[in-house]
Amino acid sequence: MAKSVETLEKSIKDAPKAKKPESKKNWFSWGLLAPVLFFFILMSVLPTIWMFGLAFYDYTLTSANKPKLIGFKNFTDFLANQQLAGSVSRTFIFLLCAVIIQTLLGILIGVLFWKNDKMPGRRLALTLFFTPMVVTPIATSLFWKFILDPTLGVINYFVSVLGFERFDTLTDQTLAFPTLVFVDTWMWTPFMTLMTLAALGSVPKAELEAAQVDRLPITRLIRTVIWPHAKFILGLGILLRTIDAFKTMDLAYVMTGGGPGDRTELIAVSLYRFAFKSFKLGYSSAVSVFLMFIAIALTSIYLYILNAKKKSEA
Amino acid sequence: MAETIFKPKRKSGPIKFATLGAWGISILFFLPVAWIISTAFKPKASIVVSPPVFIFKPTLNNITEALSFDNTLSYFTHSIIYSFGSVIIAILVAYLAAYSFSRYKPAGTDFLMFLLLSTRFVPAAAFVVPYFQLFNLLKLKDSYIGLIAFYAMFSIPFSVWILKGFLDGISQRFDETGLVYGASRWHIMFKVILPQVKPGLVASFVFNILFVWNEFLFNFQLGGAKTFGIPVGLFTGSTKGGAIDWAYVASIGTLYVLPLVVVIYAFQKYLLVGLTFGTVRGEV
Repeated sequence: MAKSVETLEKSIKDAPKAKKPESKKNWFSWGLLAPVLFFFILMSVLPTIWMFGLAFYDYTLTSANKPKLIGFKNFTDFLANQQLAGSVSRTFIFLLCAVIIQTLLGILIGVLFWKNDKMPGRRLALTLFFTPMVVTPIATSLFWKFILDPTLGVINYFVSVLGFERFDTLTDQTLAFPTLVFVDTWMWTPFMTLMTLAALGSVPKAELEAAQVDRLPITRLIRTVIWPHAKFILGLGILLRTIDAFKTMDLAYVMTGGGPGDRTELIAVSLYRFAFKSFKLGYSSAVSVFLMFIAIALTSIYLYILNAKKKSEA
Repeated sequence: MAETIFKPKRKSGPIKFATLGAWGISILFFLPVAWIISTAFKPKASIVVSPPVFIFKPTLNNITEALSFDNTLSYFTHSIIYSFGSVIIAILVAYLAAYSFSRYKPAGTDFLMFLLLSTRFVPAAAFVVPYFQLFNLLKLKDSYIGLIAFYAMFSIPFSVWILKGFLDGISQRFDETGLVYGASRWHIMFKVILPQVKPGLVASFVFNILFVWNEFLFNFQLGGAKTFGIPVGLFTGSTKGGAIDWAYVASIGTLYVLPLVVVIYAFQKYLLVGLTFGTVRGEV
């Protein structure tokens, strides 16, 4: 009985589709896509092709020489550039420190809010907590510059009250980089908390209740009930955060300008400098092409996790 | 649901402690922003002093002064024009595309969705040069047409992803029933399906506005005096005469940040879907 209803439903579902001529359906579906494709080709594909082209030219805006085709020289130059290799490795150190700290802190705070899902004023508390991640990095940098200022800053005031010497974190050789990680952590820990809450929310309530009835110990509860469901969203959160940390530019550019020396020079900051301070358009495009491939690789991993999540849900 | 599992034997004690902890962390994270807001209301003489002033008579002088500068109000109007203009266009075209992706799945759907998402994962600085030259070539620099077109593209990937997610969750039966009763495709798309993806529309509208509102680099390089928005205004206006004008930063920062706090409060349930490009949905 059940099966025949199913087949009947299926035949009803398939019927109108079969009647429709394929070509008309195709025409309509592409027609709907046309405006997006128009924008995509004009504003995304075209600049990308342009960028690829530029990467093979010796083209400096400020020089009188005409742009010259030089093949892969920009790429070989850039791979041989020690300074740039420094920014790339610095970016990865930054990314590792930031993402690990933010993930751990984010999970801790997330669990705290999860256990407090009936706390008074939860929505307001979360609003205050989530504010840092939606403030534009330009404002964040300026705000923190003020707070960390060696003479005017409120943090240094407390440092001096406690009897320590005032310090200028943003121009200090050893402190500048950790300060950048610290401010980034302030900005993005709320995001990892948000993802933790979503991950915990994706665990079916029935399974949690069953675990409670079985009096499952907490370690087994995490390993056998929570983790199999929560891992996907948590994974997506960590990856999104990694991608964003990799892109960090405004924050470093405004707060430290990459300094002191090159202590906080991240790859995106170098790239901006090549393009708009020394106007080496060909060279900066070669770096951009390199970064684009990293982005495409990260996108693939992201979609891989997303598909694994969908499969496990189905 | 949580407390049914971890329900402690003595209910009031530990729960209250955890609540205090959660509130304490929230306030700690908000403190830097609160400090800037309080600075905006300090008398000018109490801002640039050491030690910092904690108790003061609030004044609106800084804010009125910051607003009296020639460009200040225009930064806000520019931001409003280009962010609303671009996002409305983006959502309109993204809805059509998302409907096509969701219902017809034309060849290459997955690949196109992948390409759209990957554009958002490339560092912005990588694309500034080609856009800069393209804009110079087409004479679009410092024009609303250019910026709105750019930000529309900036908002489209996210809108397509978010709307396709919501459309996939709505049964095709609605479309089929409509067709059986002789409704046109447009009627089905806009009168039957559209109202059901309202949460997706709200989320993509709010968060695209937020992202465009916050965007700095492209506005800085592709815009000009006629189209600079708030982040650029905050950046360029902060360094009047060599030193940083902290009263200006605090005042404009406050005017910028307060609406954001209201937005997060009002649209908190969309925050997750908004910050994950529409790929993750759920309650927080």
